[in-house]
Amino acid sequence: MFPIANIVRAEREARGMTQSELGAAIGLTRQTIAAIEQRHYSPSLEAAFRIARLFGMTVDDLFRWDE
Amino acid sequence: MSFRYKSALLSLVSMAAIYAWFFFFLVLHYETGHPFNPVAHLIGTIVALAIIQIVGHAIIAGTSSDKYDRMDERERAFDRRATQVGYYVLIVGALIGIGTLHLGFDGPMVGDAVLFAIVFAECTRQAVFLIAHHRAA
Repeated sequence: MFPIANIVRAEREARGMTQSELGAAIGLTRQTIAAIEQRHYSPSLEAAFRIARLFGMTVDDLFRWDE
Repeated sequence: MSFRYKSALLSLVSMAAIYAWFFFFLVLHYETGHPFNPVAHLIGTIVALAIIQIVGHAIIAGTSSDKYDRMDERERAFDRRATQVGYYVLIVGALIGIGTLHLGFDGPMVGDAVLFAIVFAECTRQAVFLIAHHRAA
């Protein structure tokens, strides 16, 4: 498990989006969104900013270091 | 399963199976003198592999909704890792192939050793890509 925790799943579901829709909106595959949500993959800084921007949040709101 | 995962699986299985058949008869030829035309068999192997890849990918594409999607950053990372490992395997294999010259191998045998290194490196590349997918699934 990667050390970067996130609330992407909760925010995505709060907006009624599927993993595929979120992925398509920011140029990632559904599998990558699933991996990010399950902490099996840490997104690049660019992808993190894209997700945060799409949700109208900051990267700090979405992601936090959690060893 | 994503299109690229299925594609890598098809490439690995088809390549391993077809070249195993080729190298089995090649080794049999060297060991027992079993009649074998390496050039004709190699051409047959390449043609058979091309047909299986084309037909197989057409079938996979027909069942995958993400066939037109570009690689994203995660898949590019898998691809980079797989290519890196495959490259090292290729270099080591090629050096061993060249090294067989000093063991008294003749020209065609050295060529076969280098061909084996190329095939093994490509199979390794596909295998690492699949393993990376599994680990990060």
